Amino acid sequence: MSFVVSPATLAEAVAFLAEHPDARPMSGGASLVAMKNARLIDASHFVSLARIPNLRGISRSDGNWLRIGGMTRHRDLASSDLLNGSHAVLRQAAGQIANRVVRNMGTIGGAVGNADPAADYLPALACLSAEVEITGTEGARRVAMTDYVTGWYETVLAPGDIVTAVHLPPADPGPAVWRKLARVPGDYATVSVACMRSGDRVQVAVGACGPGPIRSPDDEAALAGRLGDALAVAAFGEALAALADPVDDVRGSAAYRLRLIPRMVAAAIRDVTKGAG
Amino acid sequence: MMAGKQVFTLDLNGKEVEVLARPDATLLDLLRDDLALRAAKRGCNQGVCGACTVMIDDLPVRSCLTMAGACEGRKVQTLEGYVADPAMQALQKAMIASGGVQCGFCTGGVLMTARNLIAESPRPSGDEIRAALSGNLCRCTGYARIVEAVAKAAEEVAP
Repeated sequence: MSFVVSPATLAEAVAFLAEHPDARPMSGGASLVAMKNARLIDASHFVSLARIPNLRGISRSDGNWLRIGGMTRHRDLASSDLLNGSHAVLRQAAGQIANRVVRNMGTIGGAVGNADPAADYLPALACLSAEVEITGTEGARRVAMTDYVTGWYETVLAPGDIVTAVHLPPADPGPAVWRKLARVPGDYATVSVACMRSGDRVQVAVGACGPGPIRSPDDEAALAGRLGDALAVAAFGEALAALADPVDDVRGSAAYRLRLIPRMVAAAIRDVTKGAG
Repeated sequence: MMAGKQVFTLDLNGKEVEVLARPDATLLDLLRDDLALRAAKRGCNQGVCGACTVMIDDLPVRSCLTMAGACEGRKVQTLEGYVADPAMQALQKAMIASGGVQCGFCTGGVLMTARNLIAESPRPSGDEIRAALSGNLCRCTGYARIVEAVAKAAEEVAP
């Protein structure tokens, strides 16, 4: 039996989760309730975050960073005019999650908390060097997206922790692109690539090919100034494929994914260098 | 209060309704099993098929993925609440006229999603309609006629 409780403050939610080890925080419910219906989880309580103030919406914070509250829905991100320049990669990713009805429910905090290896936000956030804001009994802390996933469906989250926001570094003029290959629109990705360009450098993250998003700052540095060099771009894509750990599943074999990575990475880099001098 | 059940007030189809829900009931369970409102169907119970789609605060959501206990104080509308809605009537008539209803199981969910689409995007293109309905599965595979019906109804009710 999963009782729903709806605390009015974040402090109450954190305290409730600390006192009830079998309770789970609930944002949009799109994944959590599906797991309950499939009897994959048996939570004593679902702690709804819906009534807690300041968890929804996008705001500017210190140093022109962007704070996106964990309860911000895919729908809101997909249509946000605050996600410009490099941040557009997140807007593009949000607009391709599932379908318009599920986008009315699901939230970025819930998706990051669930950390499905094929989920769309994680590579987009890794590409942007975003940070995850986590609130637990010790207060709030921030963890780089690239350090957040520790294994298959495993993250740095401790029991009772809540993903309260994600923070984006100031936007680069960009451009940025989100490329997702899926069997049908709205499905989880077979392979996804998030790519942004900053001058003669790119930041690239690959999704759905390992427990968490794949990024390689060293290889990005080696590619700096050579974005138009097809051999260098191909070597960069091969380097990311070498870091991948894909599995065989209904969306494609591991071997297929390894072949897709360099091609999709090269296509994404072409997208963000079009028209650039 | 009955042990193990939660009592709360729901704003349902324009009326304040006092409900008694099992604590782990979804909104779909509550609507179908306790309130006998059966336009929303239980298909996959995983949020994939779209047959259970209802409106919460005027946006379509999956009732199978919504906990009943999280709906207190929110505006819930099922297809039954749209009997007097001209846009919904236009959609229903167009669905019948175009042959968009076959077994009927998906129809309620299709209507809810389409009702929201034509409210947010008058005169949607075929591609917009197909994208909007991509989360509503019709296992009779009568998609072409459903898309045609939505386009026809949208044209009729567009300002």
